[in-house]
Amino acid sequence: MHGPARGPAVIIRAALCPCPPLLARELTGRDPIVSGLREACAEAAARLVAADPDILIVVGPAPETAGWDSASRLDLSAFAPALRATLGASGTPGLPLSLGLGVLLLDQAGYSGPRVLQAVGEQEPVARCTELGDKLAASAARAALLVMGDGSARRSPTAPGHLDERAAPFDARVERAIRAGDLAALAAVDATLARDLMATGRPAWQVLAGAMGAERPMTEILYADDPFGVAYLVADFEAAPNGAGHAGAS
Amino acid sequence: MDRVEGEGTLGMDDRATCGPGPLDSLGPLGPPGAQREPGILRLGRQEFPAGRLLVMAIINRTPDSFYRPGITWHETAAMERVHTVVAEGADIVDIGGVPAKPGTEVTVDEESDRTIPFVEAVREAYPDLVISVDTWRHEVGRAACAAGADLLNDTWSGWDPKLAEVAAECGVGLVCSHTGGQHPRTRVFRRAYADVMADVLDRTLTLAQRAVQAGVDPSRILIDPAHDFGKNTWHSLEISRRLADMTATGWPVLVSVSNKDFVGETLGAGVDDRLAGTLAVTSVAAWLGARVFRAHHVEQTRQALDMVAAVKGDFRPARVLKGLV
Repeated sequence: MHGPARGPAVIIRAALCPCPPLLARELTGRDPIVSGLREACAEAAARLVAADPDILIVVGPAPETAGWDSASRLDLSAFAPALRATLGASGTPGLPLSLGLGVLLLDQAGYSGPRVLQAVGEQEPVARCTELGDKLAASAARAALLVMGDGSARRSPTAPGHLDERAAPFDARVERAIRAGDLAALAAVDATLARDLMATGRPAWQVLAGAMGAERPMTEILYADDPFGVAYLVADFEAAPNGAGHAGAS
Repeated sequence: MDRVEGEGTLGMDDRATCGPGPLDSLGPLGPPGAQREPGILRLGRQEFPAGRLLVMAIINRTPDSFYRPGITWHETAAMERVHTVVAEGADIVDIGGVPAKPGTEVTVDEESDRTIPFVEAVREAYPDLVISVDTWRHEVGRAACAAGADLLNDTWSGWDPKLAEVAAECGVGLVCSHTGGQHPRTRVFRRAYADVMADVLDRTLTLAQRAVQAGVDPSRILIDPAHDFGKNTWHSLEISRRLADMTATGWPVLVSVSNKDFVGETLGAGVDDRLAGTLAVTSVAAWLGARVFRAHHVEQTRQALDMVAAVKGDFRPARVLKGLV
């Protein structure tokens, strides 16, 4: 699965951020609640913007694989109707949560360059995800990728999906793989287990694996915690120096 | 306006100058120009926007008020109470030296002794707290303003017309209430109204307009239907139900329902068992647009009002996580 042969297309930088609604400051009431998480996401987004990509691609899980209008935004009033008055009606249909929060991060980072919004279906098998990543990487010479996705939501008795003993080792494996820049290990995450554990980020991780190719990126974990029983992970991925680039690398 | 029984209980010194006075002939919405744009309510140094619901904490400097008589009779206890209600979220303290019910005469001097030094002490302790004084007498009102009061809570509906002049002269606020012409410190007796809300509007808007004419800042005037004052329980329920007629005038509406008899009679509840009923009426009044709530139970009232304001969309929830993680 190679991109079109039009020069050395490469993902120069990528970021992984979680996508709980509470990432939107407006939704949590007077208490900011997750300031640390928001700061980490802002830092990751700022690094993407600072890399000065030709295009910024946002990828996130959604019911169906689809590209979305790059002018679209998240409709926060779908989560908090009281905000409708202050936000006003948006002309375009609201983005899926994951993409909408990704766009929010880009907006907050002051990014105004071209963007591509790509939803990846929750049920997509691994191969389709990596293939999609491969295609996205080939879409521009210097692209940056913002990947939105969460780990298991079954990490504690008070978690949205209650406790599943398999959640902690599952998330630990994902975190280890990211820490090591071992994207092949992300591509190997079992879709069925991920679904059982309500780890909604799985298809997006695998798009990332496909997009960054075989070269091990340098990674930094900016945040890893589960304050509400859902694994949130914020990470920064920088393409390996002198990497061969993506196109044709596999 | 027809007078009611019990006029003899007021001291002669008051009677020479006091009384409800003839009402102008007014329609149900009061005199022309009696409406105002809903907006900022100014009290003391503070400005409150329309969506902000305010708790007025009751501090009685009396030995014999109906709810927990004498609890803040002594100055130390009263000041402790102020500290408590401020911590519980009170926006205003309402200091009164004369109970509403009939009883031993409290002279101007005695009322002043009970309230004025205390107003001074509260002002010293809390430079920005809105201080209201519950009095119908202009002499007490003037001394209270000199001591630092921001609002004159004229529960007896302009019985002493000079009180509005004092409010104007001192640049403080004024509560314009309705008693159905009831003499201060008398109980309602067989009172009937063709339309109690029309009478409430007529009186309170007339007083508000007179206050403006006397020079009171319109943004410092409130109107109060005065539950139980010159009203039986049916009347108080009616004005509660139709409170939107008052809030629609644009004047900020104060309600004083805490532990009152209409709550007790409705629920068959003794004076110590009226909190739920009080909060229910408080919530209805808040929903219908009232802005100031005179209360004994400050913490619970604050919570009830914050909850209503959140339902209305005027108050941000403290911490929202459910379903968003």
